[in-house]
Amino acid sequence: MNTKWSRFLAVALALTLLVAFVPGCAKKTTDEGTTGGKTEEPKTTVKAAMVTDVGGLGDKSFNDLSYEGLKRAEKELGVEIKVLESKEITDYESNIDQLANAGYSPIFAVGFLMTDTVSKMSTQYPDTMFGGVDEFFDPVPSNVVGLTFKEHEGSYLAGVVAGLATKEKALSDKINDKNVIGFVGGMDVPLIKKFEAGFIAGAKSVNPDVQVISLYAGNFTDQAKGKELGYSLIEKGADVIYAAAGAVGLGTIEACKEKGALFIGVDADQYLTVPNSGDVMLTSMMKRVDVAVFETVKAAVDGTFPGGTIKEFGLKEGGVGLAPFHDFENKVPQSIKDAVEKAKKGIIDGTIKVPDKL
Amino acid sequence: MLGDIITPDLFASALRMATPLALAAIGGTICERSGVVNIALEGIMLTGAFAGAAVTLATGNPWVGVLAAVLAGVAIAAVHAFASINLRADQVVSGTGINIFALGLTGFLMERLYGHPGTTDPVKMIRPLISLPKTPEGLFGEVLRWLEVIFLSHTPIVYAAVLIAVVAQWALYRTRWGLRLRSLGEHPKAADTVGISVYRGRWAAVLMSGALAGLAGANLVIEQVGSFTENMTNGRGFIALAANIFGRWTPAGSYLASLLFGFADALQIKLQMLRGQIDIPPQFFLMLPYVLTVIVLAGVIGRAVAPAAVGQPYEKG
Repeated sequence: MNTKWSRFLAVALALTLLVAFVPGCAKKTTDEGTTGGKTEEPKTTVKAAMVTDVGGLGDKSFNDLSYEGLKRAEKELGVEIKVLESKEITDYESNIDQLANAGYSPIFAVGFLMTDTVSKMSTQYPDTMFGGVDEFFDPVPSNVVGLTFKEHEGSYLAGVVAGLATKEKALSDKINDKNVIGFVGGMDVPLIKKFEAGFIAGAKSVNPDVQVISLYAGNFTDQAKGKELGYSLIEKGADVIYAAAGAVGLGTIEACKEKGALFIGVDADQYLTVPNSGDVMLTSMMKRVDVAVFETVKAAVDGTFPGGTIKEFGLKEGGVGLAPFHDFENKVPQSIKDAVEKAKKGIIDGTIKVPDKL
Repeated sequence: MLGDIITPDLFASALRMATPLALAAIGGTICERSGVVNIALEGIMLTGAFAGAAVTLATGNPWVGVLAAVLAGVAIAAVHAFASINLRADQVVSGTGINIFALGLTGFLMERLYGHPGTTDPVKMIRPLISLPKTPEGLFGEVLRWLEVIFLSHTPIVYAAVLIAVVAQWALYRTRWGLRLRSLGEHPKAADTVGISVYRGRWAAVLMSGALAGLAGANLVIEQVGSFTENMTNGRGFIALAANIFGRWTPAGSYLASLLFGFADALQIKLQMLRGQIDIPPQFFLMLPYVLTVIVLAGVIGRAVAPAAVGQPYEKG
């Protein structure tokens, strides 16, 4: 590093410290001056930030969920938070760079596409903590924690619901007697395969003859493609469709509404996040990214940041699970609810081993 | 096994997916025939899609949304026209600028208008013109069902695209206006000397391509998907450019080339159904439409001759 740069850095750091310090002092005196002390004193100096994937905030999925986790940390732990959005894959590095330079730590990089960028930046900023949502590292850098989920476990439950629902005529007039269910994937990558594998295993466990058709869009953004995939599945007789495909799934929901099939959402409780989807949204497989992010920030605040490890959030840890049936609550027979409970118990106590690849 | 692939929806799907490509490709054809390269189709389509969604959300009337998409397309195209015709800027640079600008603008406006990026709330959609009647049993009924699904299950802009292809083909090759327009792309100086205004003719062509690409965006949002997502055009504008070349710079050719690309995309979806039966990874199917584009452009169809003066700014003198 040349001297010009290091001098600039030194000045910048000094200024950052000053700026961080001065309002802290000022606040204290005013707080002591006021009677009630209504404004709560920040309990920590931790500044947590996240970089979204290209889906961005408003994806009603894991970018939004990560942000929920951060916001909860802001409220409950008094952490200062910041979000930078990536419009293109090429934004990842500059976004992380900006945040690390501004002193944010931990920095959450949302989405497996950022895995390599996080590896690289973690060596460049060895004193910054990184959280990689949906990212797997081998070996894990000592200042990085990979936050992964046992999506196959949650998807297994979704499969149990779908496998039984496709035979349950009383559930909805959209159910036919072809015993076919569908899966829509975004990109054909190991992560999405986990969803598919768990879903198929769950469905076959309760309905061995069921035919599961899987189609992939090749991306996570093309809704029109998602709708075409939905049309194709429904044409083949699929009456319950599970999508792990980001915004592509929104197109599939549209196909379900138009041609009459039930849909199982993913990542968030999509009944709440996708307007006017209630008449097809059977349930959703939730990835509690918010829980994972919050727990990690909390660990950083407590000084127990689990750097150098991969944390896996499964059913047991409350990291995955099914959303309520909402509009179908009264139509879903007790037998299905019991089967879900039984599967959940089995997975948690280890009697059911869910495959994570096909 | 073949029954899984060859279904009526295969052909209907091809028509649906071809429509936004075809509209943009015909726009590209008209534009390039006048001598202006328009690689901004992608950005114009995206802007049109956004305007269509925003106005439909605001007014509740999808037809007003379609109109807004077309007008937004024209407005963005006007920027390209001004830069490349009046300012004689490099047309590829101007087009690229517009593509990047449109991506940023739509994201920014979403944030401003709806408080979040990503995907908008659902808009009121334009439904298929005809709700298909039940067909009788037997072979006759089956044939009838196929014809209905393939030809009658579509939304208005899908039919409009076919009509536009026919009308544009006729106008370019059978009218005085078309002859003049083509002369601008072949030899603008000659056209100028016989009293045809190069600037006015090219402006009209660029604005028309904007209107068509905007309409393509409206088709995506208001007829196909029902909400706007950032970057939802997903490269369709560039495939449309390829379709224009594959169609040898003719409107009818552009439409047919788009239909082929749409068919390749529809076919790859159906081919994925065979997974498990034959051991081919889905990535192979997903790349089919793009491989087709490359093969086509590499010249399997023979040399396509571009308008002689395409890409060259005209300086009156």
